[in-house]
Amino acid sequence: MSNPLANQLDPRVKAVWRITDAITLTLVFLGCVATFFLIAVFDEESSWAWGVCGAMAAIYAVLLVLLLAVIPPIRYARWRYQISPDYLQIERGIVWRKRFVIPFIRVQNTDTQQGPVLRMFGLSSVTVATAAGEHAIPGLDSEEAAQVRDKAAELARIAREDV
Amino acid sequence: MAPQNPAPRPPAPRVEDRVAPAVPAAGASVPQAGAPTAQTGVPQVQPAVAPAVPLSSAAPISPGTQVAPVVCAAPAVPDASAGETPLEGEKLHVHSSYIWLGGLKSIFAVLFALAVSMSGTLVGLLADGIDPGGGAAIALIIVGITAAGAALVAALAFLGTWWSWRHLYYQITPDEFALYSGIFNKKQVHVPYQRIQSVDQRATLLQRVLGACTVQIETAGGSSNKAVVVPYVTRDRAEWLRRELFSRKQQLAAGQKAPSSERAVVAATEADGAGNVLDVGVELWDEVGSVFGGQGVETGRVSYEYGLTNKELVLTALSNNTAFVVVLVGLVTGAAQLVGEVLPMFFGSNDAALDFVIDQSLRLFGGNAAVAIAVALISFALVMWGLSVLSTCLTYGGFKARRRDSRIEVERGLLQHQFSGVDVDRVQSVVVRQSLIRRIMGYCELSLGKVDSVTGDGEKQANVSEKGLVIHPFVKMSRVPEILSGLVPEFADVPTAPIPVAAVALRRAILRRAVWLGGGFWCAVVGCVLAAFAPQIAWALADVPSDVDEVLFVLTIVTAGLIALGLVLFVLEVVSAVLWARESSFAVNRSFMQVTNGGLARESVTFPRKKIQFAFTKTNPFQRLARTATIVAVTAAGVGGTKVSLVDAGREEAALWLEWAMPGGQDCDLAGFGAVKVNKGSSQ
Repeated sequence: MSNPLANQLDPRVKAVWRITDAITLTLVFLGCVATFFLIAVFDEESSWAWGVCGAMAAIYAVLLVLLLAVIPPIRYARWRYQISPDYLQIERGIVWRKRFVIPFIRVQNTDTQQGPVLRMFGLSSVTVATAAGEHAIPGLDSEEAAQVRDKAAELARIAREDV
Repeated sequence: MAPQNPAPRPPAPRVEDRVAPAVPAAGASVPQAGAPTAQTGVPQVQPAVAPAVPLSSAAPISPGTQVAPVVCAAPAVPDASAGETPLEGEKLHVHSSYIWLGGLKSIFAVLFALAVSMSGTLVGLLADGIDPGGGAAIALIIVGITAAGAALVAALAFLGTWWSWRHLYYQITPDEFALYSGIFNKKQVHVPYQRIQSVDQRATLLQRVLGACTVQIETAGGSSNKAVVVPYVTRDRAEWLRRELFSRKQQLAAGQKAPSSERAVVAATEADGAGNVLDVGVELWDEVGSVFGGQGVETGRVSYEYGLTNKELVLTALSNNTAFVVVLVGLVTGAAQLVGEVLPMFFGSNDAALDFVIDQSLRLFGGNAAVAIAVALISFALVMWGLSVLSTCLTYGGFKARRRDSRIEVERGLLQHQFSGVDVDRVQSVVVRQSLIRRIMGYCELSLGKVDSVTGDGEKQANVSEKGLVIHPFVKMSRVPEILSGLVPEFADVPTAPIPVAAVALRRAILRRAVWLGGGFWCAVVGCVLAAFAPQIAWALADVPSDVDEVLFVLTIVTAGLIALGLVLFVLEVVSAVLWARESSFAVNRSFMQVTNGGLARESVTFPRKKIQFAFTKTNPFQRLARTATIVAVTAAGVGGTKVSLVDAGREEAALWLEWAMPGGQDCDLAGFGAVKVNKGSSQ
């Protein structure tokens, strides 16, 4: 809480967030607006549908600005992690700030994932799973991610099984 | 033991007496040593305890051999009948009752479907008005076809279940337990012994009569790891299986690392002879033995055991939460009905308009009808309550919890028997839960958190896992330490210096629990809004202007009720919040953590540090302003983990706690915690 953790994510992750969030938001927007748009086009009398479409578009624009310009830098600044010999610490959250301690001896498996967007930027995400839930570090350089994964896996292997 | 309690039946020790003849003369002397002692008149209240107690106290015969606990000799010990003891690697089929009980089940299902589909045609035929002479013939033919069809279906069903029975078997191999099933889609499940969390057995009424049960082996848990279910195993085979699995697991663990599991079990505690009326029923079950039940297998040394007293059983049933809610709802609705009927009479009739309203409402509710409805509702609630009390009694009838070697075993249920056995290393937490009623009476419910896995057959399991493994449904708070030290002595070293929530937590708790999340507050708000706009609403609702007064009257009653209810709830929530702030705390020491959340209902969770899967602290902007934080420890109990959290611990305490949760942090920060406490004390 007092002293921030050592490592930050790869800066390129901001671009990844922007792209994925923009895609998700656009899809949601299109899904919401489609019905009203069709009503407005085919039913001449219901001019209110245009109003709804307009309001939705306005909300969409505001959210898009938020997600593209405002949130990623803050989120990036707040997202920190640190790997100690025995445990992993994660600190994240803008409004609700959380700080996790995950002992490696409780880790059951670790893996790296790479979606298309992450691959475009040469990034990977590392997932660390315990018996009670999993944690992901979303944007790490692929090599670094492999290192983190191997280290976590190695430490998890020597751990006693005591669920 | 309870010597004053004369044995109600002839002193026929259940286990050792009948086992003795089958044991080779030179072999295990344990059962033989137990038998004569038992025959000299040890009361048979807890037959299973009998071998443990005489062993440690009076030991005239071959003292050297008696020290060996029964369970350690596991794989080689000749059991109930040496000839039947399965060998390692042998293919073991489940009991043959699988065929005809399972077949019966499918027959019933098919017959039901058949009956439903046929009834339509039959009715149609009869309704068509066929002539009397031909009608009989047709009916006969129909009956004949139906009978033939039923016979065919039955034969097919039995054939099918027989076939699947042939392909259903399990194996105990050196490394793992294996279950094979499936006729066309072959399925194999392999469970390494070390992954076994608990072995439970359940029996429905029919299975119970036959002495069979369903064994359920739970592994790591979570939604992806389903429990392994072995259906229709005879009772002694089930007990043998359980002992075998646990002992093999122990052996593997001992072979791999230092024998940490060989923890000294506390000296055999005097198991109290507490019992209740329903225990007689259970003993009867044991006596009658059920058809294929077998004679029972000695599975280890019992060091502590208890049941429920009559009082505890009845109180459990009476204070059952659902029962309480049902009664409350019934009473409230009934009372509301009565009030709705009686209220107008108090106003007197000095107003023509009011007279009209009374007249209307009387006509609306129909005078006596209201009373009748109220009475019906209340009596319905009472009947439901009675039923729920009865079902709880049956559920907890024959309740027994015991410590056997390193396992905790709980069995209960008069009709549907349920038996759970969990290794103490697998116990995630000890939960002391006090509902409002229990709290007022000074009682609590004790349960153990354990890893639960999902089974195919749904919601009942989910119901169970919600509460963990209940080791005592209704126990006096003063008896809790005794039970815990007997049943789970590993949890004896609980932290003693609780660190309370921050001082500011009181204000925040009242705001959070009574205002933002408070049902009462919002109820009252809605009531006030309604009251403020009552005239407008009445105008809008009334069809005819003359109805406005009437609508307004009803509206007034509704808003008054809402506001009153809201105020009552609000007061309760404030009280609860104040209690929460005063009682809630967390405490840690080297190896344990305890979190207490107070309020009208209270819950205290104790869990070992090494069972914490991960830990985190959480703050929202207001908490950062107030310099507090929520601490959350996540254990693997339940399905997919359980979060144990405490809102609004002081920020410094939370940070120190997080350091305590880090590997290697158990020692260094104990001093830190003390320092925090001292600093706080001196600064205030």
